[in-house]
Amino acid sequence: MRASTRNCPSRAVRIICQSTIQQVQDIIATQLSVDPSTVQPETKFSELGADSLDTVEIVMSLEEKFGVSIGEQDAENISTVKQVADLIEKESSA
Amino acid sequence: MTVASASVAEVKALYRAFLREASKFPNYNIREYVKRRSRQGFLQNQNIAPELATAIFSEGKQLLEVAKRQTVVYSLYAPEVKNVMELKHVGEQ
Repeated sequence: MRASTRNCPSRAVRIICQSTIQQVQDIIATQLSVDPSTVQPETKFSELGADSLDTVEIVMSLEEKFGVSIGEQDAENISTVKQVADLIEKESSA
Repeated sequence: MTVASASVAEVKALYRAFLREASKFPNYNIREYVKRRSRQGFLQNQNIAPELATAIFSEGKQLLEVAKRQTVVYSLYAPEVKNVMELKHVGEQ
């Protein structure tokens, strides 16, 4: 699957740009100090050892990183990594 | 005015509101402080008894109002130069 360049940060010096879900996975792995391989699209935040406060923090830092704003209702229903990535994609293309 | 007991969703929304206000500060120090203090405050009160929860929740809401007012005040005196702690990509080898 060819990675889209739409989501690349403007000051990226990386030659290969990652897709949204990849970037989200990396950020979550860094924030929770877990191995990136444990962060899969279907992984729940609770499985990674994050409680609800950690989840809120992660969603906020992802919002900042991607420059989007996720609504309250949507944010309430986040339980898996894939859901966050989908919301980010939805907001950045809106 | 009776205040209904805060639900999980409201508490999460309050925490989110604090983090959003924090990002509005142009000043690095106060921004980090608000983030740190709000995390500390919420962690401290994670397991309190339900009777105290309502009082703590309304206290949290008042502190949110304080933070909102302060974003206005601090932006009047925004620093011209970025704090060295914000220059993450400088000097990274």
